[in-house]
Amino acid sequence: MSFTVTDLFKKYGDKVVVDHLSFRMDGPGVYALLGTNGAGKTTSIRMILNMLVKDGGTVEWNGAPLTLQNCNVGYLAEERGLYPKNTLMDQLMYFATLRGVSRSDAKKRIEYWAERLEATEYLYPKQEGRKPVKPKKADQLSKGNQQKIQLMLSLLSDPELLILDEPLSGLDPVNTDLFKGIIHEEIEKGKYLIMSSHQMATIEEFCTDLTILSRSKTVLQGNLADIKKSYGRINLFIKAEQNLRPYIEAAGITVMNEVGFSYQCRVTGETQANGLLKTLVEQNIPLITFELREPSLHEIFVEKVGEVHEE
Amino acid sequence: MKNNKAGGTGAVFRYTVQQHYKTTSVRVLLLILFVLAVASLPLLRMVMDKDSEVSSSDITTVYLFNDTGFEITADDIRSDERYAEVEVKACDGDKDAMRETLHNETKAVAAFITADDSGMGFNIQGYYGEGSDISENDCETLNHVLQDGLHQSIMRTLNVSQDQIDTMNLSVMSQVNTVENYLSGNEKTVDASTHMSVNLFYSYAIVMISAIAMSYIFQQCMEEKVSKLVESLLVSVSPSSLLTGKILAVTLFVFGGIGIVAAGLVISYIIAKSTGDVGFVKRAVEAFVGVNVSALHFSVGTILLLVGCVLLAYAIIAFFCGIVGSCCSKTEDTQQASIAVVMFLLIGYFVASFTPMAQSDAVNYFVSLFPITSIFTALPNFVCGKIPLVIFILALVLQAATVFLFAKLAGAVYRMMLLYRGGFPKPAQLIRMLRENRSAAHTDAGKEG
Repeated sequence: MSFTVTDLFKKYGDKVVVDHLSFRMDGPGVYALLGTNGAGKTTSIRMILNMLVKDGGTVEWNGAPLTLQNCNVGYLAEERGLYPKNTLMDQLMYFATLRGVSRSDAKKRIEYWAERLEATEYLYPKQEGRKPVKPKKADQLSKGNQQKIQLMLSLLSDPELLILDEPLSGLDPVNTDLFKGIIHEEIEKGKYLIMSSHQMATIEEFCTDLTILSRSKTVLQGNLADIKKSYGRINLFIKAEQNLRPYIEAAGITVMNEVGFSYQCRVTGETQANGLLKTLVEQNIPLITFELREPSLHEIFVEKVGEVHEE
Repeated sequence: MKNNKAGGTGAVFRYTVQQHYKTTSVRVLLLILFVLAVASLPLLRMVMDKDSEVSSSDITTVYLFNDTGFEITADDIRSDERYAEVEVKACDGDKDAMRETLHNETKAVAAFITADDSGMGFNIQGYYGEGSDISENDCETLNHVLQDGLHQSIMRTLNVSQDQIDTMNLSVMSQVNTVENYLSGNEKTVDASTHMSVNLFYSYAIVMISAIAMSYIFQQCMEEKVSKLVESLLVSVSPSSLLTGKILAVTLFVFGGIGIVAAGLVISYIIAKSTGDVGFVKRAVEAFVGVNVSALHFSVGTILLLVGCVLLAYAIIAFFCGIVGSCCSKTEDTQQASIAVVMFLLIGYFVASFTPMAQSDAVNYFVSLFPITSIFTALPNFVCGKIPLVIFILALVLQAATVFLFAKLAGAVYRMMLLYRGGFPKPAQLIRMLRENRSAAHTDAGKEG
């Protein structure tokens, strides 16, 4: 199976909102769409799902134009909600019916996901005292618990392609871990995931390939490991029990951040870092930490988006 | 498992209907309407019986004071068989004395006939005692008899014969026809007044049904936008299936409600019939609509035609509401949307109200064929013989084509506006957006197709 987006283009009046976006997934995994607010991520997703008419470009699933008929898509939208006055069970059954899931299968899947997402008490409320059991409605749930139901809606059809737009925003740490666990499970099941998020650490945890968008244009694209490799290990973290600034400056290294005797530095490469290490060892300076790292996705993102903003 | 687009309409319809009827307030309202409908005819009979004339009288004596100068004799009163046995006694118009007399004679009444102070007419006042055996209706009926008697007396005084009076009371039917219609035997049989009444009543019914549907459709068009569910739904069902399912559901709400009331009325009629004469129903309908129902020749065919025409009219207005309702992003927008729909309805309603006055075939043909006015006028014009069958069929075909066109347009606007979050668009803006969207869709289809 493959998923290909080619030259996706959209403009409103004279304003280009997605400028020839292309990417490809040849196998299961997570593809990340990153970008600043208004960079065109959500518009791209809406065009991929045929919710918005494209001004140009194609979206293909297994070599054929992606439609709701040839691809089982699950979508957790950024702007998400539920019918506030309808019961949760009715809404889940409705979505399952719309996706062609039989009633008996839908019941089993709802039961499974309710347990997996720890939402059983909302979907199958127990009788308290003599009061009759009333099914829960959406407006009786907290935002986080509503988000669980919304994730259930997107997973009910057991989709081949799962698109998650900001899936973890607004969740507490416990529910964040719960959602992350489910995303990992979907990856292990061999699903194709497209994920959009502002939380770089989360993306870094899941994605293999990515595209960074800024002001509608693609500013960086490729395999995350390769991208990081191409930057080299240029982040140096040092922690000591005395002031090291004179030695660092003498080695021509830039200090990016300094807290006590901890230093976050930017080096030109491993040679420069090794030169500093040699000096410190020769001077018999005890070191707690001396670590040379690749840049984080957050740093790459800020750098790339910053470049575009400066232009 | 792929998404089931074709089955989407049915699923949306079922879910919307299920949620609507699950609402307690809706069920209570329908129950109240049903109970009121069941009770309506027996209640109507009670009201009409109260105002109706008696079939036999309990009055034995009438004390008559006549100050008009036109003599009313005992025979004038006894000519009505209900009062054939009454004794008529003249009195002097002293109300205090009469109060005592009527207190003692429980089967006697008094009637004081006087000239109006302004000299423009006469007054007839009937009185019965507090402990009297006489009903108010009996007294009212006697007043009507005295009124007729006074008229007869005036005519006699003016030397007008009974034949002349009968001739004067003959009803007049006015009608205008062309010589061609006369020669071809296609003379119109319904006068302008009946035509106008039928037009007004039918248009009123269409406006009422549309007004109920309008608010439901607006609410349904906005529901997913307001609850932010729209994007999640669009990967499961196409916008046109979503809109069609919702409009079909609203159709069931509206006509289901009408059906419940109709069922209640049928039960009410059965109850009324089992307890007496139901002639009052026809009288009430004629008083309400303002026409002679018998003249309209109602049959099963006419009723089926009526149902078909109402459904066509409803479909046009429902899809128009769908187009306008799709442009609403928030509750405040429904105010502007309502104005658009009300304008649409008022054009048809006023045209239907005023065209009978024109008494022109050309006008009748035009308003029957132009779809916006046709839904209000085609059926009344046909029933009243103002347009021939061929024009009526053509009008229905044009209405069906309009339904198709509006349905397609509503689907396109709904799809386009589902993700739109701006203010209520002006018509020019909406047309521009549709053009841009259509041109992009063509490009898209060309590349992928």
